Amino acid sequence: MSKLKVKKSQIIACVLLVIAAIICGCVGMYGMSSRSSEKGGKILSNMRLQAILDTAGNGAVDAYVTAAKAEATAKVREEGGGMTEIREATAKAEEEALALAEKEGIGSVDLSEIDTLPLEDSLDVLAAAQKEYFDEEAAAQAVYIEEHADEVVSDGTDEAADESLDASAEGAADASAEDSAGDIAAEGDDMGSDMEMAEETVDLSGFEATPEMLALQEKVDEAYDNLCVEIKKVFPALTDDIMTALKPTITSTVAQQGDTFESQYDRAMEMSGMNPGISGTIMRQGKTLATTAVGLLIFALAVLFYTPLVKKLGIPRLVIGLFYIILCLMAFIYNLSLPGQISNTLVRLGMNGVLVLAMLPGIQCGISLNLGLPIGIIGGILGGLLCIEFGLSGWIGFLFAIAVGLAISAVTGCLYGMLLNRLKGSEMSVTTYVGYSIVSLMCIAWLVLPFKSKVMKWPLGNGLRTTIGLQTSYRHLLNDFLSFKIFGVTIPTGLLLFFALCCFLVWLFMRSKTGIAMSAAGANPRFAAATGINVDKMRIIGTMLSTMLGAVGIIVYAQSFGFIQLYQAPRQMGFLAASAILLGGATTSRARISHVIIGTFLFQGVLTLGMPVANAVVPQSTISEVFRIIISQGIILYALTKSGGDSRG
Amino acid sequence: MDKNKVREFARNNIVTIMFVILCAVCMVFSGYSPSYVMYELFGRLSRNMFIVLSLIIPIVAGMGINFAITTGAMAAQISCLLVLEWGIPGIGGFALAALMTVPLSALFGWLIGKLYNKMKGQEMIGGLVIGFFANGLYQLLFLFIFDNIIPINNPNLTIKGSKGIANTMDLSREGGIASALDKLWRLPFHQAVLVFAAAIAVILVIGYARSHKRNAKKFGVQLVALAAVAVIAQLPPVKELFSMVNIPMVTFGVVALLCLFNVVIMRTKLGQQFRAVGQNGTVANASGINVDHVRILATIFSMVMAGWGQLIFVQNMGAFQTYGAHGQVGLYAGAAILVGGASVVRATNTQALVGCVLFHLMFILAPAAGKNLFGDAAIGEYFRVFLCYGVIAIALVMHAWSENARKKKASAQ
Repeated sequence: MSKLKVKKSQIIACVLLVIAAIICGCVGMYGMSSRSSEKGGKILSNMRLQAILDTAGNGAVDAYVTAAKAEATAKVREEGGGMTEIREATAKAEEEALALAEKEGIGSVDLSEIDTLPLEDSLDVLAAAQKEYFDEEAAAQAVYIEEHADEVVSDGTDEAADESLDASAEGAADASAEDSAGDIAAEGDDMGSDMEMAEETVDLSGFEATPEMLALQEKVDEAYDNLCVEIKKVFPALTDDIMTALKPTITSTVAQQGDTFESQYDRAMEMSGMNPGISGTIMRQGKTLATTAVGLLIFALAVLFYTPLVKKLGIPRLVIGLFYIILCLMAFIYNLSLPGQISNTLVRLGMNGVLVLAMLPGIQCGISLNLGLPIGIIGGILGGLLCIEFGLSGWIGFLFAIAVGLAISAVTGCLYGMLLNRLKGSEMSVTTYVGYSIVSLMCIAWLVLPFKSKVMKWPLGNGLRTTIGLQTSYRHLLNDFLSFKIFGVTIPTGLLLFFALCCFLVWLFMRSKTGIAMSAAGANPRFAAATGINVDKMRIIGTMLSTMLGAVGIIVYAQSFGFIQLYQAPRQMGFLAASAILLGGATTSRARISHVIIGTFLFQGVLTLGMPVANAVVPQSTISEVFRIIISQGIILYALTKSGGDSRG
Repeated sequence: MDKNKVREFARNNIVTIMFVILCAVCMVFSGYSPSYVMYELFGRLSRNMFIVLSLIIPIVAGMGINFAITTGAMAAQISCLLVLEWGIPGIGGFALAALMTVPLSALFGWLIGKLYNKMKGQEMIGGLVIGFFANGLYQLLFLFIFDNIIPINNPNLTIKGSKGIANTMDLSREGGIASALDKLWRLPFHQAVLVFAAAIAVILVIGYARSHKRNAKKFGVQLVALAAVAVIAQLPPVKELFSMVNIPMVTFGVVALLCLFNVVIMRTKLGQQFRAVGQNGTVANASGINVDHVRILATIFSMVMAGWGQLIFVQNMGAFQTYGAHGQVGLYAGAAILVGGASVVRATNTQALVGCVLFHLMFILAPAAGKNLFGDAAIGEYFRVFLCYGVIAIALVMHAWSENARKKKASAQ
């Protein structure tokens, strides 16, 4: 500890946090344990019972009122009254019946007044039966989704195509709207919002119950009938018809698919309107409190070791790392499926990794962040398009696309490098705009290039689609290669292997004679020139390599994503890749392979976890999108302020 | 000698010359009538000129094109939202919004100026990133803070059935500030020219009377030119050409005032400091100028003007996209001023105005020309976008190029 210089305020804050953590943890643990204890169970089951009895009671009142109305109608008819009289009489009867029902307490029941034991028993039986049924259903649906996973492809294409059609139509409308407000409106430029992973949902409408499920369903029905008998003892006014009508309400109150303690508790509380008191609240929030305690402990540690952590990681990585941990804890609180999130993160790590890797040679050779990455990306896209055009598929198609992409981007990268050699010192702003203008130039090219394949062209009109499905060529080729499942986590072996291979090759190159010369040229051009290194040549090599990796990166990205995206889509990819590598700890003048891997993992991890967590906190919101913009641009901004500008060139 | 001059002129204004030719070609192929084009052009000029002029001061101060003016536009939109929420209609609402824009955008300008000082030499890319970053914060503000934490009571402003500010902000409803500035005083083109000519003449006379070395010849030429313009505007064919144009006098008056301001401030001490810092930061520092401070001031000036520019734009359009209207402001204004022949180190009022005219002419003509030439309006659209980015890219490349050549020359000597 003597090495650590800890300020007094830090220690105080740390101690306070630890105390808070201990309190939270103790209360949380108590809450968690009381869930399984008799007292805790009682609270929940009481509330559930009350909820069901309320539902049934309402049904009873309804039945009573209906009966009264029918009676009144019959009476008026007998007396020979017209429609108006009938209406009046029924209204009056309804009022009277409601008043009577309230007075006599037909619809409400006090739990303490009746013998709840048989009711509770039958309720427990029903809950158990339903749980079994839902487990079976979930399992069956999982099997169904697995079997029908291939169907997603076509659905997804249509959807994505529709979406992008809308987007492009919007963009066109905006741009052409001389009369509307769109004069200077954005051209669908939502910082690459189109880059979100398409959610793979299988249409479950074709799903049919398995025999096992049917058997369990019968059990549920039986349990429900038993419950009905008990409820009828409480409310004699209830008829069988009403009980059948109430069945969906009651069963869904008792249990739902994917239920957790928290959701059951919330539902029961809402339906019954009971206030379970403080012990109930503690029980409900037990998990949240316990998780908060863990979070506070981590935070306390961070405060204590603030100085060495900042020294080692830098402020942005520390902040984002803590943010990631918070997200993980929140995912745990909201019961999001962790294996699914981990699989997603792994896939995203692989699919974005090569693009981020493309930043590395650029930074090392001295052109700083290669924000003109779209130039390479265009090469890769052309490779992919040619592959579809020639009808190639599988590994041949994939390798062909990579070969073509490499060839094109080698040429463009060389030219680009030559351009950059004339602009030493102001590469970043120039590359951004050169990249942007090439992307928009290619927009015209996508409209006029003479591609023939039906997969790629709009069915009506000119040009290529905005998103082109890859199911006929090499969709998920790497993702599915040797992939396996472990603890529910799908490992995309091929994808990760490919990423590792790329990393290894770049690592090897960086240790070669040329690679070392390149790094030297980037780190100190004057010194390098004095030692006989051709600085301009090294910069061209670095730029070429970066551009070529961009081409390979987009092909890997597209095979994982399932679509090639044209038009405006590549524009912001350079920025995303740059923010990822900076997040990994690189600066605008120095980067390592580890920065690439850490940065991609953190960045994609935050994104994958952020979306479901944000949706759990604020449903139907785009807050995760907003945070992505803030994080990715904020990190670039931070790196720019650290680069100090004048120190270079 | 003369030939050399022509060549140099061509080289210095290559972008402008290219644009003139492009505009001429597009004009031929678009099939629009000249009077319609003029109508469109003046409509666009009235709403876009101001914001382009806001770029001049940072360029003079050596910070390049201030792409972060999007942030100033955001400030304007925030105050616009508040004015709509309070339901202050007409010119009063506009004035209040303009007033509120000042502290907001000055604050943003101060912060951004501080950031710029940390990345000297990278201001342009920095400004672009700041724009994106601020856009994230802006969305956070409009989607999750307004209407959730800060209550918004005007139901027309919020998303129906959800929380957050609606996608389109309509200023033309009752209590809005649509055309507040424009409709104050409108005149047909030929009369407007007379009024402006008279105003300029008055200014010239005052300037002549107050200047120390009275250059009578120059003064006479200026007055005669002014009179000639005023007379030409009254000729029937010219009248015909501008028959559809209806000039919002106050808007253009404000633009003229800003031009005047840009000229005047350069003659003050502060303006001299801007220029000194722009030419050489080290020398300026050595001569006792607080470089960082001056740069922050330049950013604040630019931000506030951009905010006002966006307000003018918004009131002219009568509605704006809440989440998109600011996005392209920096891009379009930057491209416009570069088209006029400005570089990232030199810019004048004339360049800004000429650039604005050419750029928006291209904006009007390109889609129609694209449609007539290639049978697809989308090609014209993309071509337009390509031109925006391309113009900026070329200007940056040429600047960096000449800068490097100059450096090499200097080191060779």
